[in-house]
Amino acid sequence: MDKPSVGIYGLTGCAGDQLAILNCEDELLDMAGALNIKFFPMAMTGNDQECPLDIAFVEGAVVQPEDEQMLKKLRDRATLLVAIGTCAVWGGVQAMKNEIARAELKRQVYGPAGKGFETIVPQPLSHFVKVDLAISGCPIEKEQLLQGVASLLHGDLPRLPNYAVCTECKMAEYPCVLLEKGQLCLGPITIAGCKARCPSHSQPCIGCRGPVDEANVCSEIQVLKEKGFTWVDIQNRLRTFAAQAGPLRIESLKEAADA
Amino acid sequence: MNIENGKVTEVQMDIFEGARFFEPLVVGRTYDEVAPILMRICAICSASHTVASLMAVENAFGVTVSPQTQLLRGLLVQGGNIESHALHLFCLVIPDFLGYPSAVALASDYPQEVKMGLGLKKLGNTIQQTIGGRAIHPVNAIVGGFGRLPTPEDLLGLKEELKRGLEYSLATAGLVSTLEIQDFCTSPNTYAALLSDGPGYSLFGEKIILSTGDTKEIGMYKEICNEQVVAHSHAKHSRLKDEPFMVGALARMALNGKKLSGEAKKAKQKLGLDVLSGNTLHNNAAQAVEMVYSVERSIELIDELLSSGIREEKPLQVTAGAGEGTGAVEAPRGTLYHSYSFDEIGRLTKADIVTPTAQNLANIEKDLRVSAENLIDEPRESLSSKLEMVVRAYDPCVSCAVHLVEVDFE
Repeated sequence: MDKPSVGIYGLTGCAGDQLAILNCEDELLDMAGALNIKFFPMAMTGNDQECPLDIAFVEGAVVQPEDEQMLKKLRDRATLLVAIGTCAVWGGVQAMKNEIARAELKRQVYGPAGKGFETIVPQPLSHFVKVDLAISGCPIEKEQLLQGVASLLHGDLPRLPNYAVCTECKMAEYPCVLLEKGQLCLGPITIAGCKARCPSHSQPCIGCRGPVDEANVCSEIQVLKEKGFTWVDIQNRLRTFAAQAGPLRIESLKEAADA
Repeated sequence: MNIENGKVTEVQMDIFEGARFFEPLVVGRTYDEVAPILMRICAICSASHTVASLMAVENAFGVTVSPQTQLLRGLLVQGGNIESHALHLFCLVIPDFLGYPSAVALASDYPQEVKMGLGLKKLGNTIQQTIGGRAIHPVNAIVGGFGRLPTPEDLLGLKEELKRGLEYSLATAGLVSTLEIQDFCTSPNTYAALLSDGPGYSLFGEKIILSTGDTKEIGMYKEICNEQVVAHSHAKHSRLKDEPFMVGALARMALNGKKLSGEAKKAKQKLGLDVLSGNTLHNNAAQAVEMVYSVERSIELIDELLSSGIREEKPLQVTAGAGEGTGAVEAPRGTLYHSYSFDEIGRLTKADIVTPTAQNLANIEKDLRVSAENLIDEPRESLSSKLEMVVRAYDPCVSCAVHLVEVDFE
């Protein structure tokens, strides 16, 4: 098979998922050898902005009209579109308070000059286009990225875990920061893949990977309320990285809290 | 940039990155949630953002962390500096100067050099992983201290890798010294940096020092940064008394360079930085010298930690209350400020973050103008590529450092 042509794109974000690719120092040259990299402006010059692509990796969220146009154009050019990182998959930190009007935020940060540019309510890629594979994480975990690339090279999609950080944490036998230390941990509803990185450092999971399928948000809220956390702090923590996810929307949370 | 009839008429440095509104979004968060959110401003300097943020919170609550915590934070920031400089030098600068489109392309002709660059980059990441718990967006550095302390074995392992890294960093300085640095980008520069807080060169300090001779307490950073919203960019610009200034490795060399010691001092001399010319392209050389410094300093920090023994300290308990605080650190690209206000229950009411790239934007415009005027007779393509070199020398947030310069001839 010919080497697949690949582009690595960043919409609006911190560039951490592109950096996570470059952080595969031991695998980087092999990976570059197995792929025909057409576009990766963070790491090369002479990028091709028009060619058809077998795979487009896209990080970042859509927060301005330019992001949306670029994403739609990319979708047309690429056979497979892979969302990398929590911003691309869930909207990320910039989408934490989409209920506040962008015009108001612009006024606060930029004053009258804010009128000079357009913003749209931050959204993940799937709000605009079909996403063929989503690798979440803030940033993505190197192992999941390499596994994804290896699977795609074999014409397949990777099998990513579909269980919670809490399960990974229990399997590693870390002390429970939620029940034993009373910290505001989102491990029970957050999708695994980080090997319970934060609890392994005695820190609560803050949900940076987004929610697991069928997350039991209702029971999470119940436990946190019993531990004495205020509704404001619970909502804030739940809605930091993936506020656009169905179970974490304001109306879903109200329902879950009342249930 | 606009050029009309052989004259540069307009230079505007635009940042096309979408606005994320971090400052208002973090309002209302409890003090422990501030760093984990604001470190997401930038992946490459996430260690610096984290440490500046924690310092601002602790400053607001009047907390002084232990010497051990300070040493570990110092090590974390050095790891970020090594990673960032290695990425910039080996993925952008060296391929650029040698005429290759990328480090991967460079590897076919210079396999040893690229291996060395990736080795240094990995070393910086290994330090951040070991101390910060993750190479990007550290999870282990928290208000009051650290979640999990490294073991002496962890530190000894790092030290072994750092010894190899020292050889690599010296070889890198040697390689950078062979690059031909042209002088089309030379003009008077005003430099700003934190005044190194001890006898040696440091990325921390309580005072801001300027090449004009002025000094300020870090709490007075606004008098220097004086951020202005400019209509053509999503990033604010900074000016000092209406004049642009420069932060970053070259500014630190200019202001604190005489405090360098050991191999870094020799590297500074070898790279011709003992006399500063006002040529911004020398920022690349300053980064190469700093890589030697950061490796040597990391070894010293580990030796200090090991000689006093790692104490099983729990993070300091903070009594949250109303207050205001500022934290500053020398990030890879220059001085980074975080400044916050909290209400009486420890929720953030106001955040102000001034990044190095925002401070440099006005100076980049100045340098682009100077360079274009010096290069006005060059063919268009060569002019554009040289102007891109100027922007890249600042190492601005890498995702926007490439394909940035558009020249309109009218």
